[in-house]
Amino acid sequence: MRKIFSIGIAAGALIALVGVTPATAAEGDAKLSVFHGVPGLTVDVYVDGALTLDNFEPGALAGPLELAPGTYSVAITAADAADASSPAIGPVDLALESGMDYTAVAHLDAAGQPTATLFTNDTSTLAAGEGRLTVRHVAAAPAVDVLAGGTAVITNLENPAESLLTLPTATISASVAATGTTDPVIGPADVNVAEGVNTIVYAWGSLTDNNLALGLQTITGLHSSPGSIPAGEAGLAATNQPVDPAAFWLGGSTLVLLLGVVVAATLRARRTAAQKAN
Amino acid sequence: MSTGRAGSRGIAVLAPALLALVISGCSAAPAAPSSPPVPAPSASVAPIAPPPTPAVDVPTVDASLANQKPVGAAPSSIQIPSLNIDMAVESAGLDAVGSMALPANPDIASWYRFGPAPGADGATVIAAHVDSLRYGLGPFARLAGAPAGTEITVLAADGVEHRYALESVQSAGKPEVPWATVFDRTGAPRLTLVTCGGEFNYTTRQYQSNIIVTAVPVK
Repeated sequence: MRKIFSIGIAAGALIALVGVTPATAAEGDAKLSVFHGVPGLTVDVYVDGALTLDNFEPGALAGPLELAPGTYSVAITAADAADASSPAIGPVDLALESGMDYTAVAHLDAAGQPTATLFTNDTSTLAAGEGRLTVRHVAAAPAVDVLAGGTAVITNLENPAESLLTLPTATISASVAATGTTDPVIGPADVNVAEGVNTIVYAWGSLTDNNLALGLQTITGLHSSPGSIPAGEAGLAATNQPVDPAAFWLGGSTLVLLLGVVVAATLRARRTAAQKAN
Repeated sequence: MSTGRAGSRGIAVLAPALLALVISGCSAAPAAPSSPPVPAPSASVAPIAPPPTPAVDVPTVDASLANQKPVGAAPSSIQIPSLNIDMAVESAGLDAVGSMALPANPDIASWYRFGPAPGADGATVIAAHVDSLRYGLGPFARLAGAPAGTEITVLAADGVEHRYALESVQSAGKPEVPWATVFDRTGAPRLTLVTCGGEFNYTTRQYQSNIIVTAVPVK
């Protein structure tokens, strides 16, 4: 009796495991990262009812998950929830397309209510020497400006919008201020806009709770490579140097000899002609 | 007795939580055979049910700016004592046609400044002209014949010495050089030296191949 019962439970556990195992990464999969930008709330994240992120802390970034194209239901619950049945955020349906790169962000809306937004990450190739800076406003705060070195480079960015810049590779001193002002509410902080990388900065937290912060995600591998390295022009290291020095000098002396014969013959001919004339 | 012990050992290899389920199931034994075996008896075991655990381990990082990768220090010189090479290294980008821009003087090497710095993941690329109509034959002309194991040292601007051992010398015909591989930014840190070599086209005044040296860090 005991034996039969334990086998039944083991089989049930096995079926449950098979059910939540994601498809193996394949060509054409979508990539999904998750950023947690709700202060003070440790959560669990369920994808299609299966627990995917356990005890996910504010300010953390998870992923990327490789998922077959399709629509996924994402529910965010309190960290001690038994299942996805009573989410704190969602469930939200995320439509993921083949080959695309996404970040789902759990965050506060401008009024301070928890919500979730799906962003599509720009993974297009960058020219040599350039980096991409993406700024996403996911904080409980009014519209902001983003300043680099004290100068506004993005203006009037509202929750939950994003703005993208292509910049020469640099470490910039970034700060965030209420739009139209320069007095920072976040920063200044050094952000490395690296070459061939999409550097994504999240302004998250709450202005009224005085816990605004910056979160960072980087997507690498967007660089282009030099097309060639022309590294020689004289042929001095060539494996096909055509002229053997000895042959060159031999050929040269032959030429001198020939010239000598021609000159001598010409002189003789002139002399002969002169004698005839006389 | 012995069979009974074997049976309990068989159960003991299951997770303790599962064992607890089996034991609690015993008291409800008469009802067990009639119930379908697949669903767990959630109602009766709710007080001791373990919290769910994720099926996959998703990499998670603290996204704060403090975790940014530091920008590596540029190389300032390269030494290969056995080839009598000791050259200054400048930082180089691209020229107007998208080629790596090298100084005309073959005695000066160039580091591709948009790629990995010494010690960072991927290939640190240092290149130099093999020769010049003005300056003559350069030190990198001696790379083509270098044996495996040749010691190479790259000194970085932060004073750190990066030591490498030559792993391979390859000659790649010019139109087909796999530049994305040469300038790879992933994988273990390594050093890639590039110059020209092979046959020379005396009409276009260009070498037909690139000499590509790969070296791996020495601990």
